[in-house]
Amino acid sequence: MDSFSHLGQGFLIALQPVNLLLATFGCFTGTTLGMLPGLGPINGVAIFLPLAFAMQLPPESALILLASVYMGCEYGGRISAILLNVPGDAGAVMSTVDGYPMAKKGKAGIALSISAVSSFVGTIIATIGVVLFAPLLAKWALNFGPAEYFALMVFAIATMGSMLGGKPAKALLGCLIGCSLAMVGIDSGTGVYRLTFGSVYLSDGIPFIVVVIGFFAVSEILVLLERTHAGNEMVKISGRLLFNIKEFSSSFLTMIRSGLMGFGIGILPGIGATVASAMAYMSEKRLHDKDGTFGQGDVRGIAAPEAANNASAVGSFIPMLTLGVPGSATTAVMMGALTLYNITPGPLLFENQPDIVWGLIASLFIANVLLVFMNIPLIVIFTRLLSIPNWVMVPMIAAISFIGVYGVHSGTFDLVLMVVLGVFGYILRKLDFPTAPIILGFVLADLMEQNLRRALSISNGDTDILFASPISITLWIMAGMFLLGPIIWQLCVRILKKKTPA
Amino acid sequence: MSDRIFSIIWLGVCALIIFQMWNLYIPFTYEPVGAKAFPLLLAGLMALCCFVLIINPAHNIHWPKPPLLGKGAILIGVLLGYSSMFEILGFPLSTTVMILIVSRIFGGRWVNGLIAGLVAGVFGYLFFDRLLGVSLPLGLMQYG
Repeated sequence: MDSFSHLGQGFLIALQPVNLLLATFGCFTGTTLGMLPGLGPINGVAIFLPLAFAMQLPPESALILLASVYMGCEYGGRISAILLNVPGDAGAVMSTVDGYPMAKKGKAGIALSISAVSSFVGTIIATIGVVLFAPLLAKWALNFGPAEYFALMVFAIATMGSMLGGKPAKALLGCLIGCSLAMVGIDSGTGVYRLTFGSVYLSDGIPFIVVVIGFFAVSEILVLLERTHAGNEMVKISGRLLFNIKEFSSSFLTMIRSGLMGFGIGILPGIGATVASAMAYMSEKRLHDKDGTFGQGDVRGIAAPEAANNASAVGSFIPMLTLGVPGSATTAVMMGALTLYNITPGPLLFENQPDIVWGLIASLFIANVLLVFMNIPLIVIFTRLLSIPNWVMVPMIAAISFIGVYGVHSGTFDLVLMVVLGVFGYILRKLDFPTAPIILGFVLADLMEQNLRRALSISNGDTDILFASPISITLWIMAGMFLLGPIIWQLCVRILKKKTPA
Repeated sequence: MSDRIFSIIWLGVCALIIFQMWNLYIPFTYEPVGAKAFPLLLAGLMALCCFVLIINPAHNIHWPKPPLLGKGAILIGVLLGYSSMFEILGFPLSTTVMILIVSRIFGGRWVNGLIAGLVAGVFGYLFFDRLLGVSLPLGLMQYG
């Protein structure tokens, strides 16, 4: 019951005119950014973070803006998936499978509206899940000491490393590179300068905003340069704009199932919207695809991935808010936003800063309602924006990124450093390094080191404390399973393959 | 191949980190784990990952072809120039020039790029600096 009175309080905050305006703005630009191929939630949140900070928005307003941009992107990704057959963001990959065939058959309007409603249902399920589970988890996490935290962060990094495709070495190295970038600057424990190489500018460390904008705006601009020639013909919206009752009722249960599944996957750190939507699509296909309509433009085939990907996006707020360990790259950036305001996310956040947490959760409900209205009646406006040429969009992104970084740090050095990091990020991306572990490493490194040092101070240097409690032992075992599991699995497969032909 | 080159370069970085941390002079410390341990641990693990990548590199890495590579180099140059001229030329002027060149790189026409640049430079300044309170430099225009 306690949660509901807090939620009421949260609505009072989220419904303040300024916050409502920010949410509307965030939803609109979020949908637009999500829709444009190449730009996704992480870029949207990264670009707006310094602006929010430079505009001196209070923390809850900044979070509301960033959260609505995030959710808007998750809504927007499907538009280009359906109309262009190009996913607007990574989570919308599965939406092309049935969305584009539907659009080809002249049912673009139906595909867009049913997917908007699926997104709505998925988000609502996940937001209710956050209201119910987040406070419980936060209460449980209050028992965590430094040793448990350290184990938890290792676990988060291990899941990231293993789940992001078959390149654990690269994911791990990326994460460690992120950690090392965070090591630069003054050490809070002893006051010595580390890895500054004598530069005065680096003595305060590499600012979070500079890293985020470098990796997710500047390097994105360089990646976009290679995509200028990819031109798909856009399908014109014709026929009915809204689905009928039959189409809705046939896919309603799909939405619920996929929403629940997406939420569950979203909570796990490291496994994001892409995995959630793919798993939801596959399981619905297994359940319902008796006539082979999946892939040919089945309504359920578009409802499943959309509900799951939105639900998992919202679910990924849970580890960030309750444990202070982000569940995805985008929430890692949002967590960085909180630390800019000197707010440490974690279990104490629910007790010390209820306004921020519950304002954010309430704004998820509000943004969701705003988004479903924007995405059904106003869909035509967004489809016009889809034809923004790159020669306008790219330089504008550059200018806005520079405005944000300069607004926060007011120095030429940070701008140059941002471009250099952008080029470095571009090289890493071309080398097929996943970007999420890098940013996660950068955000977690400081916390990891502090918790490790604190834990070992308590035990006076005895490393046994790291494995002392049942919680930390479980986390270590799980981390080990996630990290070594795929490698052992691959070895087993290889051995079996060798045996079969002989 | 790219993986191997990168790993070898990064091994050098690891060596640099280890060298720097090893020689770090810490006047006093109250805790059993000092400031050196964690970075050294990171560098060691990174070196391990680099060795894995040298032994087992990926082969699916494609770099852009020469004409695009040239464009990319120009783009990086423009962005570096934009960062260093941001304060000197001021936001409106440097932004106009940056947008003009970048929009040319992305296939826009001179006239369109110039219009986009002027609009973003002038209105961007008014909107962000005057309306939203994000401070932006005027640079040269301050004296004009």
